[in-house]
Formats: sequence, structure tokens, C-alpha cells
Amino acid sequence: MHYSKNKIALVDCNSFYVSCERLFDPSIIKKPVIVLSSNDGCVISRSTEAKALDIKMGEPYFKVEKIVKKNNVKVFSSNYSLYGDISRRVMKTLKQFSPQIEIYSIDEAFLDLSSIKNEDLFDYSNKIRKTVLKWTGIPTSIGIAATKTLSKAANHVAKKEKSGIVNLINSKQIDEILSKININDVWGVGRQLTKFYIKNGINTAYQLKNTHNGWIKKNTNVFGSRTAMELKGISCTSLEIYQEKRKNCCISRSFGRKVTKLEELSASITTHCLNAAEKIRSDNQTTKRMTVFIRTSPFQKNKNFYANSKDVDLPIGTNDSIELVKQALVALRYIYRKGHKYQKAGIILSKLNDINIYKKNLFSSINSEEKRKKLMKAIDCTNIKYGRHALSIAQAGLRKKWNIKKQYSSKIDTACFDLLPTIKVA
Amino acid sequence: MKLLLPFHLSKVGAGFPSPATDYVKDDIDLNACLIKNAPSTFLIRVQGKSMNSIGIHEGDLLVVDRSLNPKNFSTVIANVNEELVVKTFIKEKDQPFLTSGSNKTKDKINLTESSEIFVWGVVTYTIHALQ
Repeated sequence: MHYSKNKIALVDCNSFYVSCERLFDPSIIKKPVIVLSSNDGCVISRSTEAKALDIKMGEPYFKVEKIVKKNNVKVFSSNYSLYGDISRRVMKTLKQFSPQIEIYSIDEAFLDLSSIKNEDLFDYSNKIRKTVLKWTGIPTSIGIAATKTLSKAANHVAKKEKSGIVNLINSKQIDEILSKININDVWGVGRQLTKFYIKNGINTAYQLKNTHNGWIKKNTNVFGSRTAMELKGISCTSLEIYQEKRKNCCISRSFGRKVTKLEELSASITTHCLNAAEKIRSDNQTTKRMTVFIRTSPFQKNKNFYANSKDVDLPIGTNDSIELVKQALVALRYIYRKGHKYQKAGIILSKLNDINIYKKNLFSSINSEEKRKKLMKAIDCTNIKYGRHALSIAQAGLRKKWNIKKQYSSKIDTACFDLLPTIKVA
Repeated sequence: MKLLLPFHLSKVGAGFPSPATDYVKDDIDLNACLIKNAPSTFLIRVQGKSMNSIGIHEGDLLVVDRSLNPKNFSTVIANVNEELVVKTFIKEKDQPFLTSGSNKTKDKINLTESSEIFVWGVVTYTIHALQ
């Protein structure tokens, strides 16, 4: 085991969704802005000014509505097609600075900067930040360190630095900085692990770094041990430069209003199935397990909370919309209980595999399978050409009530001719 | 954002095939000509009045490259009074300012480093439909 000599930079976009909304609307620069999750449920992105108003990440919108009204906070529904396009632009820009890049999420990427001399790292990072800001309009923070976990920690601190950059390579401040990072903010330490560590007196990243590895190995799992090793500067995870295909696909929505009838839930589940099947088809994948779940609102007072799910193991890997809908509706009937006001329904496709991995089932008829494949292809092509849901299954219902509530959407899409940003000539 | 125009060299017919067919590689791609730097290039639609003096009309598509620095008399997108607008960038005795395309000095807007007025991007092409 040896200390890593890598130089890994984590570039993270600041308040990414808010920054995207600000790009074409300068009137909201320096003002409190928040972006809500799908269906206008929870707060998922906040400007610095909104954070200062004590609006918390992940809080349901109805809980912050008062603060929003009082302080004139600008609210946006999430506009994922815009964020996706801006994200692609940011990542493309970053690629110019290092071909060794792992796109970690819509607004974060790890860059391998090992070829840059340590004394040049700060200037180089500064150039990255300036270029991304100029080209795409998105402000970023950069943390640099010898391992991914440490660069995450460095980034956490960089967000509060004026320069937006923290370099922990050969830094004498590593321990000082790690002792300021709460254990729950350490990359890879989830809610359960946080509870466990705090119970054992480990409250900061620094304390975890100095915990004996034998104890961590014995009491957590391989991931817990990895995180601690990485904090010590020993690299356990390399950059995943090639994008892995998704391992599961989950689609769920909260309803805009409470839903009680089985027919309504069926329509919602059907819509989710169609979307999920389309997603995995576009990745050339099939699924062997589908989970259908429904639940009532956990915020209802004096009402019985009901949540249930049902797994369906499919005999042959499939991505056939019709087959999946059929199975999902059987599963739904199995978990549906009358008398509840449902708030959310969804499906998860798991055990995803590349097409052709699963062999044919003894009972499958090759002929009908080929026909179905052609039908799915025709559906996908039609929907690409004429817009989503141009061709659907009648069970999904004709009025798309399930599709996302987007009351406050900016309705701009930089990658769609019909929704381009507009400008006045003055 | 792909704009692909098929590039037909000859009609499909029963006669002698066009000797140029072997040289056709791909459809011609307008992007290659209009977009020099894809991540920094945005398409923006013009709304409202026209700016006839510099050939910008309502409904036109502006190709805007944020990576470029404006040169003297560049057409730019700028943030003025919390709104994005089309302006002409002019540099006079090292002092940069924005105008509305006319030579009148009364609509000069000074560009200073610290101010809330800044250049958003440089317009490199306008795409204007004639029909």
C-alpha cells in the first residue's frame, strides 16, 4: 500500500440549476433563487442568497413557501433538458483541460491533472474556472488532492473560498481542513454510517482518517474502509473514464393531487413503464426485474401511512413496453389497497443487462419476439420524430395528468429550436 | 442541434452513373461552418424590433459564441439593465462602450469592469429566412 501521487481535481458547478436559470435571465443574478424537483416537490438547488435565508436543501416546497413570498425568492420548476444541455457544454469544456475525465454527475466531474506540476496547479485550475465561466456562464469550484475522496473534501472547502480553489497536494493544512468537515459531509458516508460513526465518537473527516483501519474493516464494510483509506491519501478508486451503463432505472412521480382509484394508479404506472422501457431501449439494455411501488404522503396528519412494493422477476430479460406494462399492472393490483389517498407511484427496472446476454427461453417464440422488437423500434422512432407520447399505450390514459407539474418552468431549451432563448433588440 | 442537409450529386437513374459519386463522403453539415466552438456557442432567437442597420430582423436566429472577445464594431449580446439585448461593441481610445447600431452618441453605454453591464457573447452569424 502506498500513498497516491495522483492529482485529482473535482470540478463542481456552484448551485448548478440556479446558475443555468440565471444564464438567460440576468434579472435574477445576485437575487435569492431556488429550483424545485420534478413535480415542484422539494427544493433541489439554491442560490447563495437563498441559502442565507435559511432555505434548506431537500425541503418540501410548501414548508418554505412563506419565506419565499416574504423575501421575493424567485422559484423555478426544474428544466432538465436545459440543465442537461448546459451540463454537456461544461463537460466538453473540461475535456479540453484533461482527457482523463470522469463525469460523476450532472454538475460534477473528476479530472486527472497528474501531468501538471504542483506549483502550476493553482493557475491551471484558475484557468479551468475562468474558461468554464466564460464559455458556458457556469461558476465552478475546484478541489484538488491525491484521491477522489480527498478532492471531494477539498471541493467542500473550496466552495467557501473566494478563489473557489483548494489544493491539498503536499499541503500542510490537510488535517486542519479535514477536522472542519463533518462526518456526514464525507463522500461515501451515508446516513446510517454517519449515525454509527457519531455513536463511536467519530464526528469529523479528520477523526475518521485517524481511526484504525482494522476497526473500520471489522465494523463497516469494504466501502467504509475504502473511504477511510482514501482520506489517508491511499487511492482505492480510480477514475471511471468510460461511462458505465446504468444498473437500474427508476421512474416515479408525486401526484399533483391525491389519487385513490386503481384505474388512476394504473395509468400512472403505465406511463412510468413506457418511459423506463424507452430509456433502457435507448441504452440497448433489457431488465430481468421490475419493482412497482406506491405510497401515501408521510406528511398527512391523522391518516394511516401506507407504502408497499412488489417485485416481479421476469423469465427472460426484456425491454418490451407492452410486456412490462402487463406485468406492472398485475403487481400493482397485488399491492393496491382501497381507501388510501396515494401520493406517489413508481417503478424500478433492475438487473439490467446488455441485449444478447440473456439466452432465449425454451418457451419463447422467436418469431413474435422479432415482431415486438420491430414494434418497439417503430414506437421509439415515432416518438423521437413527433414528440414524446405521440405513440403510447391506451392504458396510460389520454390526458397526461401524471406528467410533471412544472408551474414555474423557464421553458427554455438551448438544444431545441422551438424553445430557444429569445432576445429583444434595443 | 444537428442540421444536416443531404448533398445530392446526381439523380438516381438508369444511365451512366455520375463519375463524382465516388468522391461524396458525407452530407454537408452547416454546423461545421457556423459553429467554431460548440460548447460555447448558443442559438438565440430575435424577438420584437429589427436592427436593420446591422441586418438583424425579427425571428432571425443569432449564432452567439461566448468564448470570443469582442472586436471593434462586433455585434454582441449584452446584459443591460438586467436584460439581455443586442448591441454594437465599440472601442474608442481604449474605452469600450455599447451602442444600438447607430452613430448617435446619445445612446452610448459605457462598459466598465465593475459595472452590472457586461458582454454576454459575440454574435458570429445571423440566420435570416427569406421565405
